[in-house]
Amino acid sequence: MFKERQIRREIRKLSRRTPKAHSLWRDAWRRLIRNKAAIAGGLIIFALIIIAAGANWIAPYTYTEGRIQDNYLHPNSEHWMGCDFMGRDIMSRIIYGARISLSAAFVGALTSFFIGVIYGLTSGFFGGKVDNVMMRFVDIMFGFPTLILIILLMVYFKSTFSVIEPGTFRGVMSAIDRSMGGMFFIFIGIGVTSWLGMARLIRGMVLSVREKEYVEAARAVGAPRTRLLFRHIFPNVLGPAIVAQALQIPGFILYEAFLSFIGLGVNPPTPSWGMMLSEGYVGMRSHFHLVLWPAVAISITLFAFNFLGDGVRDAFDPRQTR
Amino acid sequence: MLQFVIRRILWAIPIVLVVSSITFMLMHSVPGGPFDAEKALPQAIIDNLNAKYHLDDPLWKQYVDYMWGFIRFDLGPSISYRSRTVNDILAQQWPVTALLGLASFGVAICLGIPLGVISAIKQNSLIDYGSMWISMLGLSIPNMAMGPLLIWIFALNLKWFPVATWGSPIHVVLPAITLGTAFMAMFARITRASMLQVVREEYIQTARAKGVREIWVMLKHTLRNALIPVMTIAGPAFAGMMTGSMIVERIFAIPGIGKYYVTSVGNRDYPVIMATTLVFALAVVVMNMLVDISYGILDPRIRYN
Repeated sequence: MFKERQIRREIRKLSRRTPKAHSLWRDAWRRLIRNKAAIAGGLIIFALIIIAAGANWIAPYTYTEGRIQDNYLHPNSEHWMGCDFMGRDIMSRIIYGARISLSAAFVGALTSFFIGVIYGLTSGFFGGKVDNVMMRFVDIMFGFPTLILIILLMVYFKSTFSVIEPGTFRGVMSAIDRSMGGMFFIFIGIGVTSWLGMARLIRGMVLSVREKEYVEAARAVGAPRTRLLFRHIFPNVLGPAIVAQALQIPGFILYEAFLSFIGLGVNPPTPSWGMMLSEGYVGMRSHFHLVLWPAVAISITLFAFNFLGDGVRDAFDPRQTR
Repeated sequence: MLQFVIRRILWAIPIVLVVSSITFMLMHSVPGGPFDAEKALPQAIIDNLNAKYHLDDPLWKQYVDYMWGFIRFDLGPSISYRSRTVNDILAQQWPVTALLGLASFGVAICLGIPLGVISAIKQNSLIDYGSMWISMLGLSIPNMAMGPLLIWIFALNLKWFPVATWGSPIHVVLPAITLGTAFMAMFARITRASMLQVVREEYIQTARAKGVREIWVMLKHTLRNALIPVMTIAGPAFAGMMTGSMIVERIFAIPGIGKYYVTSVGNRDYPVIMATTLVFALAVVVMNMLVDISYGILDPRIRYN
């Protein structure tokens, strides 16, 4: 009797001394919080989200129309950032432009994430012939320069779906795109072209996780396939997938800006920073404010996402030395 | 080695086939043709033009004809520039883009790798933080913003360099910096991270214990082994520069292939779009192959099989 009680007490003491188990996510979050640069990046992104969401209240003027006597107006007390070649207030256009860049960042990330995850999980989990075929396809698509594929796709979308035919599939697609100012096809373009790396990463992770003991154990007790996949394999590949996606986000912002710069992106008058740059650099000699503000805006945004992405990577992979 | 190169060249065949057929299908499923104009041409003329450029053949035949021509380096006539063949256009425009790409690659490597090495040697010093901030800036300012900023500072205000156009070596400076900065930043960051990892290897300790001078430990033992991850991104970086040239050539009014590509997509100049896309894809394939070969030179332990 006495002995058993003693043993129990000892066990309780020991268990108190062993550190509490932390989940991977909590540890990562702790490390992220301690990273000042990442926090700064996160705060800037938070501010940008607020600006984008509240653009209707924050922007001093409308972004669509300007007054002809304000053409090329330099910054003054009324128009803090001046006006563009159509007399539109640049500050308002920058503020509304945050919507475009941020939605390209988040929607682009989400679509390519989902396509990549589903493709990679399927390929890695089934293995064998399925895996072989699916991965050869990814290999070949990697040979296709992404931007060129996006350009071709955008030309295709823009001219195929530019019709006004209510009721038909084409008509509905073009109506959706028009109501989003041309963003819809940008999302599709980014989604279709950017999932390859994610698929490859996930598939590799699945192949290694699949052979781990805990998956073996789950299989041994008779867990069904879907449970193996979603309960045991997927959570363990999620971390690296998020890191990879966080590092890709600046790329999505750049795609949108690039497409709008060469005239295949948003429809005017939707204000995209890339489009503002392409309209501005022509008249730069005497009206530098036309390019300065969009350049500053897009650089700050990319800066913030780069810092946050770095922070997320360091948080999930502490072996990387700082 | 030879076997490896041959296998990689064979691997280019499916890539070219897939790239060309996707491009071909997308191009031809787009409504509107190369002969659309403000004032519609009579149908008879359009029919004749289509017959001249074989645009009235069935699609598969056009594709096969085109690929047969591609194998013989005959890329056909350009449609929107009636007097020139695509071969002429590539011969004229491609060297410009290649020179711009090489110059930016030079900027990226010659500045990026030393920056990374210095940061790694002086880890956590002011120099380290400074150069990592610089590379973060370089990574975050896209070339469509960097170009105008550089022009404004160095061409319009300081008047050190010409504003735009192409022709003499001094014209190359600003575009090359614009295009190279982001890749310089990438190289610097990866060099630093990879050096810091290699420094902890045991053979570095051995080298130090033998009394090798620290500078040689860093340059010969560490850097050489640290270069492999750097080479890995050289392939994608090269591809990025090719496409980045579309913007830089536009901003600086450089008569290169990137600027031309965007125009020909707008003009539906099918042969030019096909040829340029294929050349871009082939350039990427070749570059990736060179990168793979360079692994073996950097690290003789790597075998090609």
